[in-house]
Amino acid sequence: MENKYDVIVVGAGPAGSTAAYSAAAAGASVLVIDRRRELGVPVQCGEALAEDVLKELRIEPDPRWAVCRTNAVKIVSPSGIEVRIAERSVTGKVGYILDRKVFDKFLAMRAAREGAEILVNTYVNGLITENGHPAGVRTTGAWGKGEFRGKVIIAADGVGSRIGRWVGIKTALKLEDIESGIQFQMVGVKPEDTSLMEFYFGSGIAPGGYAWFFPKGEDTANVGLGVLGSRADRRPVEYLREFVRKMPHISCGKVVEVNAGGVPVSGPLKQTVKENVMLVGDAARQVNPLTGGGIDSAMRAGTIAGEVAAKAVDEGDTSEKRLMEYEKRWREAIGKRLEKYLKGKEVLLKLTDEELDQLARTLSSVRFDRISLTDMLRVIAGAHPKLLWKLKGLF
Amino acid sequence: MRVDPEVCMRCGACAGVCPSDAIEATDGCVRPNERCTDCGLCARICPVGAITIGK
Repeated sequence: MENKYDVIVVGAGPAGSTAAYSAAAAGASVLVIDRRRELGVPVQCGEALAEDVLKELRIEPDPRWAVCRTNAVKIVSPSGIEVRIAERSVTGKVGYILDRKVFDKFLAMRAAREGAEILVNTYVNGLITENGHPAGVRTTGAWGKGEFRGKVIIAADGVGSRIGRWVGIKTALKLEDIESGIQFQMVGVKPEDTSLMEFYFGSGIAPGGYAWFFPKGEDTANVGLGVLGSRADRRPVEYLREFVRKMPHISCGKVVEVNAGGVPVSGPLKQTVKENVMLVGDAARQVNPLTGGGIDSAMRAGTIAGEVAAKAVDEGDTSEKRLMEYEKRWREAIGKRLEKYLKGKEVLLKLTDEELDQLARTLSSVRFDRISLTDMLRVIAGAHPKLLWKLKGLF
Repeated sequence: MRVDPEVCMRCGACAGVCPSDAIEATDGCVRPNERCTDCGLCARICPVGAITIGK
């Protein structure tokens, strides 16, 4: 272990580990620091991932972490009307429910095998600056206090990034921009089909968010929900207990693990780059505002960040201007799509339970095998002209 | 603010909303530092209600 590196990555989640892999693959010396004793733990995630990012990054799904294959979706309205979306249609993408305890560790090992150094059980508690320029990080942890210098610091330090704040980026989230998430991993539940992901909406179930049932096996599943911070009347865990009680295929199960976490749904930050510093993943709020999914964005942005960091170090120019290549590329690759989903979320938040039921009634009679988003919107607009003014943000 | 260590899940959502960078969330505990103003945002976001405002 040295105390000087080309690239220091703070956080060994999907964003940090893919950035570390990518920087190491491009020839940079890399150090990854994580405050946890065990990477991948605790799980703070519904663990659902569409397969395309794995294909893009040429990562072969391994049954040890891709534990259940999914290819269909069921959306349930507040009063129980079901809309089913199957494979190869609008959102019924093929994907996996992951075991992130194994997946995250696998991604870190992949970075380590490519040459990155890893330091676990180490908490970054400050930034080292030289003449006002970020030059490294101060740490504390099981191995004592430390200082590590890096030419580029990749901040993959999660929701409400502290490193972002330390360099002047306002990363603290407002209550209306964050979902409070709580999940039970359960055994003894009865999935209708292990390839079917279920989503439940309703102000009584998960205000400002949704509840999910993601099968992990024949009788196991992730059961959780996200409540918008500004709309929670009760503790989210109480909403979850009640949801579990109400669902016969879930209430028969038993809890073997509880997970919790905050999910940014504001859409990505306007600025993710400063001199010598890049924000990636949840730290940059690169999370789908409608679904709350962030693994794919984290991995795509992390890959770009690592490449750009290595190149910049090689050129001897890690200024904000030079690092802007990362901004440009990730906004092109994922930013535009995230902004679209942000509009979708804003529209959804304006709908009442009754309006959601109306939409579900219309959509439940549509065959979703071969339909585009535009077709779906046309169907909705035709059946509910009065809702058009609320849905206009989507057009 | 105070965190009940028996209820707290160390999820860090509180640190995410803290406007004062007043929460230290290491691997093992979540606690406020001297910058805490008891604004209460953390208590509202906590998924399990582990936070109370005031000393």
